[in-house]
Amino acid sequence: MPTVVSVFDLPGDVVAAVTKLKKRGFDDIETYCPAPFPEIDDALDPKPSLVRLFTLVGGLTGVVTGFWLQIWMSLDWPIKIAGKPFASIPPYVIIGFELTILFGGLLTFLGMLLVGKLYPTFTLDKEYSPRFSAEEFGVVVKCDDRDVAEVDALLRAESAKEVSLGES
Amino acid sequence: MTPPAAAAPPMNAGAVPQDSQANVDIMNVITRGVSAPWLIILGLALLGVAQAVGTLAYQTYYGLGVAGYQAPVFWAVYIVTFVFWIGIGHAGTLISAILFLFRAKWRNAINRGAEAMTVFAVLTAALFPLIHIGRLWKFYFLIPYPNQRGLWVNFKSPLLWDVFAVNTYMTISIVFFFVGLIPDFAIARDRTTGVRKFIYTILALGWQGKSAQWKAHNRTVLHLSGLATPLVLSVHSVVSWDFAMSIVPGWHATIFAPYFVAGAVFGGFAMVMVVMIPVRRIYGLEEYITDYHFENMSRFILLTANICGYAYAMEYFIAWYSMVEFEQTSFYLRAFGPYWFSTWCMIIFNVVFPQLLWFKKLRTNIPFLFVLCFFINLGMWFERYVIIITSLSREFIPAAWGLYIPSAAELSVLAGSFCWFSMFFILFLKGGPIIAIAEVKEITIHEKAHGGAH
Repeated sequence: MPTVVSVFDLPGDVVAAVTKLKKRGFDDIETYCPAPFPEIDDALDPKPSLVRLFTLVGGLTGVVTGFWLQIWMSLDWPIKIAGKPFASIPPYVIIGFELTILFGGLLTFLGMLLVGKLYPTFTLDKEYSPRFSAEEFGVVVKCDDRDVAEVDALLRAESAKEVSLGES
Repeated sequence: MTPPAAAAPPMNAGAVPQDSQANVDIMNVITRGVSAPWLIILGLALLGVAQAVGTLAYQTYYGLGVAGYQAPVFWAVYIVTFVFWIGIGHAGTLISAILFLFRAKWRNAINRGAEAMTVFAVLTAALFPLIHIGRLWKFYFLIPYPNQRGLWVNFKSPLLWDVFAVNTYMTISIVFFFVGLIPDFAIARDRTTGVRKFIYTILALGWQGKSAQWKAHNRTVLHLSGLATPLVLSVHSVVSWDFAMSIVPGWHATIFAPYFVAGAVFGGFAMVMVVMIPVRRIYGLEEYITDYHFENMSRFILLTANICGYAYAMEYFIAWYSMVEFEQTSFYLRAFGPYWFSTWCMIIFNVVFPQLLWFKKLRTNIPFLFVLCFFINLGMWFERYVIIITSLSREFIPAAWGLYIPSAAELSVLAGSFCWFSMFFILFLKGGPIIAIAEVKEITIHEKAHGGAH
């Protein structure tokens, strides 16, 4: 399958190009952006990121762990402190809260690594170029041979400044 | 239909035709080579760390007596310095998390420096409880772990809350810092060679700015900001409860949590200025960190200075209004007792001097801001000194009062802590981009799109 690689200057053009390509049924699109532009990510895939589930699970695990840890340990060797119940909830809110944040934050980080498929690697995409960590945007479309011309015209119409055929 | 320019060479074959100005300017800080002043400052910092390590070895061998701990003052410079450094960290999280949630775009130029400062300040602070306990090898008693005595830690103690709060804060700050660095590591990977490229390639985790990566990244930054915001407020509140949960006159006050948080943000912003003003000057980053950024930070400093001023006044008012003789005596002796010097330093540096920031001329006068922030840092250190030392040395019965003077060992470790912090910061200047390049580009590209530069 041929790969059409194009370079853009402005994020608005990328959004327009991606939207039109998707409308024409070209779904195998990848974009490379030098900075965060949520409108481009949403044009490609409007679903919210799965990372949010990791935060939720992490936070809930943290709060349960925090309270369970303190209550169980206080009851395991009961010592009367300051006339309070062995397991007294109000002071335990603090460590429960801290562990909610700790677990929530760590799981969010893990979620980013898994959802974004980030891991130490030396092989980058063939279409990737250091230009895309400068100030240019890359839009890469995989399509059938007979569609190459149409994709090319479409990208140029949205002011792609370069369009070329990558190695398939 | 003409086929597309199939003859054009593949994208990644050629070099970058024109690199962005932000990449060039900010990467230059890392790649332009090591200068003599940089080496000298690093050398001095290492020397300072070495002498503090020597003191610690001496203290560990002979015991905490060498730190001048004597009844009634058993919390002294080590705890003062611990609270000081934890406070410094707060501005970084405020800039990176809270201003992110408020969509204050001006934070983008300074957040990296502030986050780095946070991480290094917390790494400095975290050493002090260990130094303070004296018997370093027993530090693990603080952690709830199964042991053959079947004992657990006391979860009702604010000191234990502190262990959890500070460790959580350290972990989350480091994660936040690293997450923000990933796109910039990718920029560095694409623009370096040799060993540097190897290290940046690993640290960049295969980042290519794909939409799925940015999407996960944006969501992560949003959620980490949401988590870090209440966390940063909780951390200094918990630190304040180390004091406020006791019945010591001068400590036993409900205002402590917000008072400490405001003081932390105040001192932290001052430290961001003290660190970033020379960095900007030396590395010529005036185009990115503008006077506008310093003016905005000055406004934060003015606001938090006045919150601190209010808290100082309220402490005195409540001491008088409570009609508790111990509180009244404690506060009278703060201002007019043996520690009057530190109290007046605190009030003048933290409340009186910052009032000058009402004038725009001074808010944009960078050398003035540098000097002012230096004094604010001094004042904030004295604030903790006043709270801790004056309260402990003048508790209830005058027969149990005592005088405390910082010992040489404590001052040596205090100096070492500044060197330790500086060491990390100086090394980071050559290790990672000191300005968040991708986030700066977010603004420049937006301007390009809307300014019609094309």
